[in-house]
Amino acid sequence: MMLKLNDIHTFYGNIQALKGVSLEIEEGEIITLIGSNGAGKTTTLMSVCGLTPPRTGEILFRGKQIHALNADKIVALGISQIPEGRRIFPEFTIKENLEMGAYLRNDKVEIRKDLDYMFDLFPILKERQNQRGGSLSGGEQQMLAISRALMARPTLLLLDEPSLGLAPIIVRQIFDIIKKINQEQKTTIFLVEQNANLALKVAHRGYVMENGQITLVDSASNLLNDEAVKKIYLGA
Amino acid sequence: MDYFLELLLGGLTRGSIYALIALGYTMVYGVLGLINFAHGEVYMIGAFVGLIVSGLLTVLGWPVLAIVAIATVCAMVYAAAYGFTIEKVAYQPLRHAPRLSPLISAIGMSIFLQNYVLLAQSSDFQAFPQLVPDFEFLEPYTHIILSSELVIILAGVVTLIVLFLLIKFTKIGKAMRAISQDRQMAMLLGVNVDNVISATFIIGSALAGLGGILVASHVGQINFYIGFIAGLKAFTAAVLGGIGSIPGAALGGLILGWTESFATGYVSSDYEDVFAFGLLVFILIFRPAGILGKVSSEKV
Repeated sequence: MMLKLNDIHTFYGNIQALKGVSLEIEEGEIITLIGSNGAGKTTTLMSVCGLTPPRTGEILFRGKQIHALNADKIVALGISQIPEGRRIFPEFTIKENLEMGAYLRNDKVEIRKDLDYMFDLFPILKERQNQRGGSLSGGEQQMLAISRALMARPTLLLLDEPSLGLAPIIVRQIFDIIKKINQEQKTTIFLVEQNANLALKVAHRGYVMENGQITLVDSASNLLNDEAVKKIYLGA
Repeated sequence: MDYFLELLLGGLTRGSIYALIALGYTMVYGVLGLINFAHGEVYMIGAFVGLIVSGLLTVLGWPVLAIVAIATVCAMVYAAAYGFTIEKVAYQPLRHAPRLSPLISAIGMSIFLQNYVLLAQSSDFQAFPQLVPDFEFLEPYTHIILSSELVIILAGVVTLIVLFLLIKFTKIGKAMRAISQDRQMAMLLGVNVDNVISATFIIGSALAGLGGILVASHVGQINFYIGFIAGLKAFTAAVLGGIGSIPGAALGGLILGWTESFATGYVSSDYEDVFAFGLLVFILIFRPAGILGKVSSEKV
């Protein structure tokens, strides 16, 4: 078991965002969490990363409790998040953005190698490595955000709405990369998406979330054919 | 011509001091978005530590150079410790509070430190020894520049260069810049924000301590109130140059220093502050973010 959320309750002040969320991710899996706006998907990811720690419940990473750790300690364990909106540092160059991804690492030679790997994965980033992050288009920023997260060599990658605001052709490209990372790097992937159709096509299993609670769990293919899911999330 | 040169170098001296202090304001603003009003008091405390240490060592009969070095180091370390503690006590507990709360806490800290030194040291001006010896090679030029002024200018330049390199190339510098752009994202990449904020306070306060001892040795007297005035001017310099920007703090300091120096020299020293703050108003009308500041829309 890679990650296990056990009945977590997360609050923003007095407002309860998560009302007892439990989920599990196996090593090497791609799982997706789908749900409408405000269901608590982003909060779930932020709870895992330690930015909005749960008030009650436990989060286990490879059997070790992490819900009381500081965000930087959680990253050090190998959990990276690509947050919604990509959050590229606009004043850093692309290269500096990537170097920030390797903030906790000290192996210069390996960092150099990973940098080359990212430039290989996304040649456009190599071309523009000395441009400011803020000057990139949305699709390029998403590529940079993915590369930046991979620079930390995570074993678990959390992605929040990677398709948001991108052209369909770019979205397909991004999802191909996600699959590639999962297959080649053996990185476990926890994908949060509003585009349920797409997400369920790449994921192995899916969770459906409503009002801060998980309402459905099943294999991705079953969810794709589930009448209720179809009606609400797939627009069919 | 000599008069002009004197004013020019005098302005440069003032400007270097303002810049040294303004750096602390601007660095803290960069990572926290907070004006640390207690910063001027840290400068004042640095001066007092310099006074106490140099007095003690003089009584013990230490060589001049050792006194200068040890007093300076003590002032910087002490000031850094104050900066670190101020942040832990007055700002860290308010990290998630509305923006006004830490600001009020900062003003409270400033008043507290002033009165604490007032109680300990009385309100009288105390003579500060001249720590910087008169350089022989400056002998023919003393009507233009004093050795203490030269030291202040050099300290300002060296500090700026070192700080620039630190911010640009070291890990902690990168972390500071990352936090100033997007604190949450920096955390998601593994930056320990609390540590970086502490480091920012330590560096900025050490520079204020350095400024405190240099100025005190140049002016020759100190009391509990010098930090308030110097802090106000340095804050003006930081805003003038664009708060949050390190080159901006340097530029703002220089411009303010020259404005005051020339206003004093050619108009009247009574109008020194009028010109200084008039300039601030003027610049803020045309460039609200300061000279090198970035125009950004407020995040609500």
